[in-house]
Amino acid sequence: MPGGLCLVKKDIRILVVDDFSTMRRIIKNLLRDLGFTNVEEADDGKTALPILKQGRIEFLITDWNMPGMTGIDLLKTVRADPELSHIPVLMVTAEAKREQIIAAAQAGVNGYVIKPFTAVVLKEKIEKIFERIT
Amino acid sequence: MSLDVDQEILEDFLVEAGEILELLSEQLVELEQRPEDRDLLNAIFRGFHTVKGGAGFLQLDAMVDCCHKAENLFDLLRNGELSVSANLMDVVLQALDSVNLMFEQVRSGQEPEPAPADLMQRLVVITEGGAEADEPEAATAPAPAPEPVAESSKPNPNTPNDEFDQLLGDLVSDNKETLASSEAGQRADDDLITEDEFDALLDELHGAGKGPGALDHPEKSAQVSSDEITDDEFEALLDDLQSKGQGAFAALGSADTAAKPEATKLESVAPPAKVAPTEPPKAVEPPVVSKSPTAEPSARGTMPAQQKAVQESNVRVDTALLDKIMNMVGELVLVRNRLVRLGGTREDEEMSKALGTLDMVTADLQTSVMKTRMQPVKKVFGRFPRLIRDLSRSLKKEIRLELRGEDTDLDKNLVEALADPLIHLVRNSVDHGIEAPDVREKNGKPREGSVLLSAEQEGDHILLIIRDDGAGMDPEKLRRLAVERGMLDTESAARLTDQECFNLIFHAGFSTKTEISDVSGRGVGMDVVKTKITQLNGTLAIDSILGQGTQIAIQVPLTLAIMPTLMVTLESQAFALPLVNVNEIYNIDLTKTNIVDGQQVIIVRDQALPLFHLKRWMVKGCEHEPLPDQGHVVIVSVGTTRVGFVVDQLVGQEEVVIKPLGSILHGTQGLSGATITGDGRIALIIDIPNLLKRYAS
Repeated sequence: MPGGLCLVKKDIRILVVDDFSTMRRIIKNLLRDLGFTNVEEADDGKTALPILKQGRIEFLITDWNMPGMTGIDLLKTVRADPELSHIPVLMVTAEAKREQIIAAAQAGVNGYVIKPFTAVVLKEKIEKIFERIT
Repeated sequence: MSLDVDQEILEDFLVEAGEILELLSEQLVELEQRPEDRDLLNAIFRGFHTVKGGAGFLQLDAMVDCCHKAENLFDLLRNGELSVSANLMDVVLQALDSVNLMFEQVRSGQEPEPAPADLMQRLVVITEGGAEADEPEAATAPAPAPEPVAESSKPNPNTPNDEFDQLLGDLVSDNKETLASSEAGQRADDDLITEDEFDALLDELHGAGKGPGALDHPEKSAQVSSDEITDDEFEALLDDLQSKGQGAFAALGSADTAAKPEATKLESVAPPAKVAPTEPPKAVEPPVVSKSPTAEPSARGTMPAQQKAVQESNVRVDTALLDKIMNMVGELVLVRNRLVRLGGTREDEEMSKALGTLDMVTADLQTSVMKTRMQPVKKVFGRFPRLIRDLSRSLKKEIRLELRGEDTDLDKNLVEALADPLIHLVRNSVDHGIEAPDVREKNGKPREGSVLLSAEQEGDHILLIIRDDGAGMDPEKLRRLAVERGMLDTESAARLTDQECFNLIFHAGFSTKTEISDVSGRGVGMDVVKTKITQLNGTLAIDSILGQGTQIAIQVPLTLAIMPTLMVTLESQAFALPLVNVNEIYNIDLTKTNIVDGQQVIIVRDQALPLFHLKRWMVKGCEHEPLPDQGHVVIVSVGTTRVGFVVDQLVGQEEVVIKPLGSILHGTQGLSGATITGDGRIALIIDIPNLLKRYAS
């Protein structure tokens, strides 16, 4: 994996979306371990959108299963919005169900990560996404 | 419990997942009423799902396993492939119980024990029974722990592996096939995608590499071996999606190249049916389209990087800290009282203005701090639907529970302290109160009994009511029993009012049921309930009509830290009587007392009340102090007992902050604590029920 995290700026602004605040905290901590400290949170797709619309978020990590607006709907909305469609999206899911992942890929996801994961795994996922888009 | 998780996160998890579990317990009972409710089923599914997700990170495998199975079951339920039955609910509730049990284990620092194997087996059987086999987990489930196993026995789905990429063709067609084949109940993880597959998929979706026509054939067989997508596959997919790794997200770095035409191929990939490379862009769902070059700078420009979007509006605070703050506010209140008293004696306008403000601010502060400790009584009430459900099933009674005023707030300590007494009283209502459906019918009542649990705030206290429409209590029977048990002689039993008879059930060793049921125990309960409520400075009133039902009313103060009292003096010593017990104050002629049964009594509104000279009990050297001719009498009540206390002086009503007694006085019967009065003196707070127990019985 050439390049590695050096491709990714540490101050990149990340939005973590999950309805379970413990999970947000876990992800935030993992990101912090990787050096990403510029992290915001939202508890579902509906609350995430206004934050995204402010135009500062550069990377979106979202859970799949949420009340209100699910991760996949959020993804679709993001991709459909010309202002937001550039934002890379990492989907957090509970299992690697083929059907789901394909649906996510088709909706424009950049990567997925299966719970539970470690900082190392998260790092790889992020690296891979940025490797691809730079 | 290690991973990348620290203790703090574990604590967070315990709190947050704990709330979800509480909610689940309510929702499950609700589900029995509305088994078809899609939203409810979804919510329950999500509840288990969320707990599982969190537990996964904390490596609580046993919990993950149990939640996972429950989640699978609810996945079928919410998709209508299974329907709710009482049997199913029993199993699910038991599963929830085991998760709760594990929760307690984790909380106390132990590794959670796996749920009983037979329970897990039953969950699996039910899930399988309903699964039309297109649910992959149904097949996996018999394995002891599908989730952890999945992780240890095969490469972690998150670990990149080098399965070959470019499997998109199978992927898309295989997707369809997988569904079909797994319908035959074939392999467990058929529906799982691997990283490589995903990569390949993304490549294909975004990419120019292959025409959609090429999609279906290649390497279908290779695919069968593993249906988990691998990193490489995923890469390949991405490549295809994004012109071989170039472009779609140029916005974040390089120039944008991922052209619309490529993107539109997404559409053609999506359905398994091959479509010729469709060029006319379908606007339905603009896929990973890159951002226009101009958008980037503008986005940058618009972010002066301030203004936190959604700020966390909640902070978790250790209750010990709240207790400490409460205590300090208490001290402040005492100083305030003292200052206000001192200021009142001086004619200084400036000073009294400042004091007025201090008074107000302190009061506000006190209320706010108290509010931080408030919790809705729902915390306790939430357990009852489940309790009633289980009891009705085990006792074969039909019971409807009504909850009112669940949002009423009261002090956290009180919420916790009230849980056990309330549970006991409700059990009692169900066990002894509500009759069997047939009996009810015979008596012209609806088969379904009703239990009402309500909470409301009344001034500075909370009123809790537990009411059932059951058989009610027979005062005659209670009198007889009291005599049989040697608690009273026949004569005094006969003198008891009906009210007093009902109160007999709160005496130790009094159980109206001759047989011991495993539901409401053996008569130790009710007196424990009474003691507990009394400890909370609360009162308990019971009323019953034979054949119509019983009502128990509990009054507790809003908070335990501050108590309104009536300040009195005895030989120039200050004493505080809890206002909750005080009924009225009299100044009466004490020469007109009578002696009944060797007890001095005074007649107040045609009622004879025992009269006690408080000084004889509380002040050293006054044991035989004669009664004055004229005196202040404070009428207090404890349960149904009303007595009069003769005191020297009435000082007035004062809110006091309760301080525990020092070690020497600690445990003195009749005293519940001490406080500092407005004039700077120490006042002992009298515990009236125990005082009477100690001296007057």
